[in-house]
Amino acid sequence: MAKNNSKITVLDPGGQPSGIFGRRLNVDSPMFAIHDPVYQPRDTAEALGAMKMAPRLDSLEGKTVYLVNTGFAGAKEFMEELQDWLAQNRPSVKTELRHKKTSMFTDDPELWAEIKKNGDAVVFGVGG
Amino acid sequence: MATARFADYVQRDSRSHGMNLRWTFPPYPVGWVSRETLRGYVEGNDPISGVPLTEEIFLALTEPLTEAEKNYKPEKRPERPRLLEPATEADLHRFFLESGWTDGLPIILPTEERVAEMLTGTDRDPQEFVGMMSVTTHEERLQYTVERVAVNAVMAGAKPEHFPVILALGASGRPSMPSSTTSFASMMVVNGPIRDEIGMNYGLGALSPVNYANSVIGRAWTLMSINLGDVRPGATFTASTGTTINYNNMCCAENEELSVWEPFHVRKGYKAEESTVSLFRGWTILGFNTGPAQRMLEVVKGISGPFGASFTFVIDPLVAKGLKKEGYDDPMKFSEWLVNNMEIRFKSPEMNNFVVVGGEMNPMWVVTDFSYFQSVVIDPWIPKAGVKKDARPLRMPEAVACKDGSCGISH
Repeated sequence: MAKNNSKITVLDPGGQPSGIFGRRLNVDSPMFAIHDPVYQPRDTAEALGAMKMAPRLDSLEGKTVYLVNTGFAGAKEFMEELQDWLAQNRPSVKTELRHKKTSMFTDDPELWAEIKKNGDAVVFGVGG
Repeated sequence: MATARFADYVQRDSRSHGMNLRWTFPPYPVGWVSRETLRGYVEGNDPISGVPLTEEIFLALTEPLTEAEKNYKPEKRPERPRLLEPATEADLHRFFLESGWTDGLPIILPTEERVAEMLTGTDRDPQEFVGMMSVTTHEERLQYTVERVAVNAVMAGAKPEHFPVILALGASGRPSMPSSTTSFASMMVVNGPIRDEIGMNYGLGALSPVNYANSVIGRAWTLMSINLGDVRPGATFTASTGTTINYNNMCCAENEELSVWEPFHVRKGYKAEESTVSLFRGWTILGFNTGPAQRMLEVVKGISGPFGASFTFVIDPLVAKGLKKEGYDDPMKFSEWLVNNMEIRFKSPEMNNFVVVGGEMNPMWVVTDFSYFQSVVIDPWIPKAGVKKDARPLRMPEAVACKDGSCGISH
């Protein structure tokens, strides 16, 4: 067969950026909504761009650090080990271990309010 | 904190969401390992940075934010061009493969001429917005027009007659292979008059690769999921083992003619004369067997979890006929009997689905762990003049009709 070296033009198959992102589930969202184009809450690039990282602490001495188990397999046990290690090796740091109420996908405003009121820092984990 | 296996994934995620977060990565996996192993992770180093894990946590919480961290701006994804740079066919085939824009099988290159031909399969404006999609839960959705759907339909080998079904899939915004480490799979079932108009198979071998329409429509959903749903293995797509169901998504139609029950879409509230595509998602086929209600119960009892059941049964018309003879003239009645005889906490008969597919060669059924999500009406995407068919529509050989009375005998 003769080799065809003529050039042709084809269309790009990819989609265009939309500025719309998937978002964590609301407290009252059904669990199936996490991957659902109809029911999953959405974020916009503008709203996300307005978020800022929290300022850091000078030191953790005498501070309360919340350890939040996000709900992935092994996260609870890992956070318990981390809490135990901190109690033994850094007793000046107070820790509070909490578990997200529903799932790793779902918002937990009551817990965030508790942390803002009583905590100085928070470590979330363990993802994956 | 996230495990080291997901380091790139979560760092990219946080950057695309506007913050270059401070991460600490214990080794992978964290789930289903001993306490001693976890303690070793806590006392050991982050394998990505090489820094002791607990020291890294302290630094993450106490080191002042840098200017870059304070003022991080996410990079905007660039717009995709309409046309690619001209190249030879061989180079383009290679380029599509190397770019990850295919399922690994040969494609039809989407030339302007072929895409224009595909667009004759609908009256809609090529630049009309159809929907947006992402295989991820969280990353930016990609939006697409009728023309971008047509590009993927051409690549899959489809014809204009198939295009309304493919557009309905696009309008769902639902990728066939959502990203999960657990490897999701999907199934799509077409109901209504369009099944015969475009030569879909709902009879013998409906789930096998012996029918043109079933093959290319199912494949088009996969290619749309890859290109419009932004599949990038490792970056946006995390299926650990993956599944071969993703190649074709169990694309078939329902055998309304031989079913003794109302068509699936009618049971979901649509009119019999409407054409719909119904979408299901789960993980896999759990089992199969032949025969009546009691046998079905025995099988699902063995595979259901402690909390409940959500099964989608794909059953040969002979099975539906047999169940009707046992008194189940509505599949929901059968589902009620099924869940009431299972030792499960949550009894939700409406979570089970029954689709009648097959050629009456054996009273066989398969049971999947799929859940039903939605049906999309295909008719709004069909041209006013009717489905655009070739003068001689392309059809693969049909199964030999079973007229000698031997149907239903198991061999």
